[in-house]
Amino acid sequence: MMLALLLAPALFMFLVSFLHNEKSKYLLAFSSFVILLPIIKLFTLVKPYAILGTYLVADKLDTYVLLVSSIVGIGVTLALLTLDKHVKVSPKANRRFYRFFAIFWIGLIFSILSNHMGIYWIGLELATLSTVYMIKTNYTPAAHKEAWNYMIVGAIAVSLILFGIILMYASAKPILGEDAMQFDLLLQHAKEIPSPFLFEMGFAIATIGMFIKMGFFPMNLWLANIERASFYPVAALFSGILESAVVVGFFRFSQIAMEVNYDHLFIFVFIYTILTIFIVSFLIFRAKDFMRLFSLSGVEHMALIVMFWVSGAPFAALLHFGAHAFLKPALFLSTGVLESNGKYKIAGALRGYKGKRGTIFWFLVSLFLLAIISLPPSPMFFSELYGFGAMISTAKESDHMLAMIGAVLFLLILLSIIFYRFVSIYQSMKYEGETESKEVYPSELFALILFALSLVALMLPDTLHYLKSVI
Amino acid sequence: MVDFLIGLFLASLIVALFTTRLYRLLLWYSLNSLTLGLLALTIGSNIDDDGMLVTGVITILIKAVGIPYILKNLSQKFHFVRQITPEIKVQYAIMLVPAILVFTFYLSEPIVNMIHTNANYVAISISSLFLSLLLMMEHSNVAPKIIGFLTLENSLFLLGITATNGMPMLVELGIFFDLLMAIVVINLLFHKEEMKV
Repeated sequence: MMLALLLAPALFMFLVSFLHNEKSKYLLAFSSFVILLPIIKLFTLVKPYAILGTYLVADKLDTYVLLVSSIVGIGVTLALLTLDKHVKVSPKANRRFYRFFAIFWIGLIFSILSNHMGIYWIGLELATLSTVYMIKTNYTPAAHKEAWNYMIVGAIAVSLILFGIILMYASAKPILGEDAMQFDLLLQHAKEIPSPFLFEMGFAIATIGMFIKMGFFPMNLWLANIERASFYPVAALFSGILESAVVVGFFRFSQIAMEVNYDHLFIFVFIYTILTIFIVSFLIFRAKDFMRLFSLSGVEHMALIVMFWVSGAPFAALLHFGAHAFLKPALFLSTGVLESNGKYKIAGALRGYKGKRGTIFWFLVSLFLLAIISLPPSPMFFSELYGFGAMISTAKESDHMLAMIGAVLFLLILLSIIFYRFVSIYQSMKYEGETESKEVYPSELFALILFALSLVALMLPDTLHYLKSVI
Repeated sequence: MVDFLIGLFLASLIVALFTTRLYRLLLWYSLNSLTLGLLALTIGSNIDDDGMLVTGVITILIKAVGIPYILKNLSQKFHFVRQITPEIKVQYAIMLVPAILVFTFYLSEPIVNMIHTNANYVAISISSLFLSLLLMMEHSNVAPKIIGFLTLENSLFLLGITATNGMPMLVELGIFFDLLMAIVVINLLFHKEEMKV
């Protein structure tokens, strides 16, 4: 029953996308709102809640990720209502966008709620394939090329994940049989896995696949190129929803890997993420347009989330994850307005807004821009405090305290480069360039207000208490 | 029989790397999928696994017959370039392929010791995976890249069959569903008439 409720809005959206009526776009946006209802219901149920036997099980972690993703989905569909005001888009492409968005949702629901490595992969592959066509709704040669690039790189990344899953499954099959696909059983029996090396090998390969999908080193630029070439709601979907599904998989796999051999996992992931942040900080410093800037910043934040998670700070990781999932789509959606007068016009982008709508818009965008670089009282400020604190605490228990202090200092230097670039861009947006008038539409503003309220909700004591109780 | 089929699987993939014509490449992909299906049927009947038998039949129907037929139709509909010369010269590819095979056998040695059933086949599936990646890399045209992606999927399937004696039926059916979805998306990506807004 719960599964039917979760899937029904997406199926409704899929069917409505075939209607040729002008008004159907409002029905499509409405169906996105309806997705929230069964997820709220899911929140109230006792966890873990079996949705489909042992295959789909809702626990505190996946319910949280699903709620965050559904709010992002609502924001994106609100912005889609006025997409044609900012870019050239045909009604047919708009309808197809929703059709694939519905398939994307179905894939995500399966992926996020899965307690089964195979179903997780099937859902992720379905979501990946459906986003390929979303990129192509922008009918330009660049978008066409990037859709193919995404198809190929995405397929390689997802294939690596499947490769890793097969090896992990093979490592645990002698003790668990076909149940070796289940995350909860694997976690319970992690210490009994007869070939831990095989499991670790599988985990490393699957992790590389997931890191490629998140744009980690050495695949730093492909995601930025794709998000630049596609319409801005696609970038918002990537950063707010698709990456959530990928990172929830990493959380699940790494929980088991931590039980198998924590030191190996920590060293592998820590070096990988530091290298990624090192490269990305300089790429951010050279970014000359909003989409690339936000996209690269997304890679940096995903790396931080992963780093906090493996450092033994799941609370910091989840808080950072939630804040990033709201802030980044909000910034991506605002690029529709910010780039009204040209893609590379950063100077003066926050000027020229008139009326109450305009004032609220530039105020919110300023807040989001400063929040993404962790200025207090942004949730990211607190998550980074907790995260770095956890890294030091983890090091205390080992003989590598000095190395960890060095790593934290190095990270702080890299983060300060990013901080400097964002502040410089903000100043240029607000105080430089010419004032050219820009129009803000109510639905876009409503989407930004929704994200701002969600960020405030993230800092409520009840939410923080919930996040602390997840792991 | 299994040894013969797995050899044929690898051979069809190696020949595909040197192919310069699109339809010939489709034929090698079809043969690669056929051997994979027959492997699933043989191993399935050896270990008495009904699920693997069903998988074998579906593999033959979808991958050996359906997908090559659809891709051939697409190539005619959208006028693909049929001359597909690999970017890597033949003399270098001839050296690269055995190097990959030797490297993957060496690389997979620790894994092979942990898998007691069909241990050497795991090494072959991993080398097929690298060869499929090579197939994707050595062509600048989209069509051979698609075939590369499909052979990559075949290699993973082979790994699933050999390393684990078959994945759960539900997962295998899901993979087939995703593969069909990929073909639908590929078909849509080729449509260019919608470039007009």
